[in-house]
Amino acid sequence: MPWPRSLAGQMALLVALTLFVAQAINLALILRDRAAFRVSQATRPAAARIADALDREAAGRHLSKDRGRVRLADRSPLTPGMEPQPELARELSQQLGEVGVARRKVEVAIARPDQFRLQPTRIERRLARHDDGPLPDTVVIAVEQPNGRWLVTSSPWSRGDGRLFWRLLAQTLILYAALLLPVLWIARRISRPLRELARAARDYAPAVPTPPLPLHGPPDVQAVIAAFNALRLRVTAMLDEKDRMLGAIGHDLRTPLAALRVRIESVEDEQDRARMADVITEMNRTLDDILSLARLGRPSEPVTDIDLAALVDAVVEDFRDLGSPVSFEESARLRMRLRPSLMRRAIRNLIENAVKFGGSADVSLDVGTTSAAIVVNDNGPGIPEAQMQDVFTPFTRLETSRNRDTGGIGLGLALARAIVHEAGGDIALSNRPEGGLSARIVLPR
Amino acid sequence: MPSPDDMGESPHLLLVDDERSIREPLAVYLSKQSFRVTQAGDAESARMRMAAYAIDLVVLDIMMPGEDGLSLCRHIRATSEIPVILLTAKSEETDRIVGLEMGADDYVVKPFSPRELAARIKTVLRRATGGGGLRQHAPESGSFAFASWVLKTGERALIDREGVSVPLSTGEYNLLLALVQRPRQVLTRDQLLDLTQGREAAAFDRAIDNQVSRLRRKIEADPKNPDIIKTVWGGGYALSTDVTRL
Repeated sequence: MPWPRSLAGQMALLVALTLFVAQAINLALILRDRAAFRVSQATRPAAARIADALDREAAGRHLSKDRGRVRLADRSPLTPGMEPQPELARELSQQLGEVGVARRKVEVAIARPDQFRLQPTRIERRLARHDDGPLPDTVVIAVEQPNGRWLVTSSPWSRGDGRLFWRLLAQTLILYAALLLPVLWIARRISRPLRELARAARDYAPAVPTPPLPLHGPPDVQAVIAAFNALRLRVTAMLDEKDRMLGAIGHDLRTPLAALRVRIESVEDEQDRARMADVITEMNRTLDDILSLARLGRPSEPVTDIDLAALVDAVVEDFRDLGSPVSFEESARLRMRLRPSLMRRAIRNLIENAVKFGGSADVSLDVGTTSAAIVVNDNGPGIPEAQMQDVFTPFTRLETSRNRDTGGIGLGLALARAIVHEAGGDIALSNRPEGGLSARIVLPR
Repeated sequence: MPSPDDMGESPHLLLVDDERSIREPLAVYLSKQSFRVTQAGDAESARMRMAAYAIDLVVLDIMMPGEDGLSLCRHIRATSEIPVILLTAKSEETDRIVGLEMGADDYVVKPFSPRELAARIKTVLRRATGGGGLRQHAPESGSFAFASWVLKTGERALIDREGVSVPLSTGEYNLLLALVQRPRQVLTRDQLLDLTQGREAAAFDRAIDNQVSRLRRKIEADPKNPDIIKTVWGGGYALSTDVTRL
């Protein structure tokens, strides 16, 4: 059986265990008391009867072999089938001593009704007519006389009371039920706000303004919730600050870039000018990527219902419009929920890499029941297996020979992966057996 | 040397940007392209220049201290027909959407190529001053409903009957926009080329026919038998459904 993991479950279980142990100790104590009581109940009247019988005998009245509570026997009535009770015998002989009977041999045993039976007395016969229950066990007590004969008496012996255990069990259950309600109430009072807190922490999306969590539960828990609310505000404020800073950086860097871009138009040499323009474009792209990557935690674009096949097709078409060798196998409509321009960007980055390093890109969709994959294959040199993961690290570039022309600062894949992760998917890179790299964006459907 | 074809004298531009490092060299460059250029460093002096001169087109920076470019753009649109091209520092969707909603005719993203800006200025001027009667003063913003589709210009999204967005390539979008802005009007290939180019850096040398057939595959129930984009005998295309502006 699995252990309960929730606070309420564990508390309930703990209370149950504690109650059980306490009640078990209780039961043991009661049973011991009952046992002592039973012994004295069995022995004391018997001792009195025997003492009484001896008194009467001494007064000249003979004991009968078949009448009265104490009878005379020639031999000890104990048979091997009975359960001898030396403890009871010791107790009895001690009690006989107390009432002034000189020490004799005492034998005590418990007999089943079929093993030993005194002729019932008149009163017993009368009682028996009303009582049809099973005959009880008997304690057979035999005291040896100095003349070798035995005094025999008996008393009823109640076996251990089985009902006692059940009564105690019922009592435990009632106690448990009574305790369980308040325990569960307290546990819920603690665990419900904690659960809400866990959910709020898990679902925390800095871009979404959320009201502070209401303060519920005991003061300790309320303090935790209040601290969480404050923390959330601080994180949101920090992220806001970051966004503002990035915006300012972007503006401050783009302005000189724009000024430079205007000025190079006066450069006479056509080739020089083109190269400068490329550098500026590249710097701007990098700036864009850095800003996008930094802002990705709080995307401003909403999630929309979109036809992913048409989206991939549109990205590919844009590449083809610019004369890049990119192909796309037309695919059936594929409805997904995404942030379209971010996803466009991720796909564009992968295709761009394929074109840049592999010369061309073959794009296709691979649609499964629970996921959809956008596959971008190229015919380039691929990536050494050992470096497969490195390429996702921002600012990583594989070949040292790579110059600014083929450049980028290695943000493309990092950005693409961040976008895809944000959408709940993943990007996998692998070298194709026929050569070239295969990049696979897998998105949950 | 390009020269404005159907105008007696060179067009007069007002260049509004708080950054001297951009404004001044740009003014020099545009002057060399045979535009007359007046500069303004903020919105207030821009208003004064506009009152003083007959301005043909305003090139306007969005991010300016004090009154920003968007607010000035709204003012210009409210008081005159002078076309506006916005200079934006961000390529963020929101800026572009807002800019077009303010009634700007076009925009370029910094850092831009001065040549491209000059080309767009010419395109916008040509559209504004006739250019085959295509100019109808239609700010590009808003949504166009036609057949079972809605084209949202802000998000540049084509939405189908079920509310699913069908992304378009830049070329397809520009073509469709040109068509829905002029429903039931026959547009020749040259006119379409003219209307769709200069919007974006995308190359325009792919045949209009190709773009049309791609668009048809996306929006027509039966692309072989088009109902929405009809081919007109004698060369040209027309959007043959009604368009509702939303």
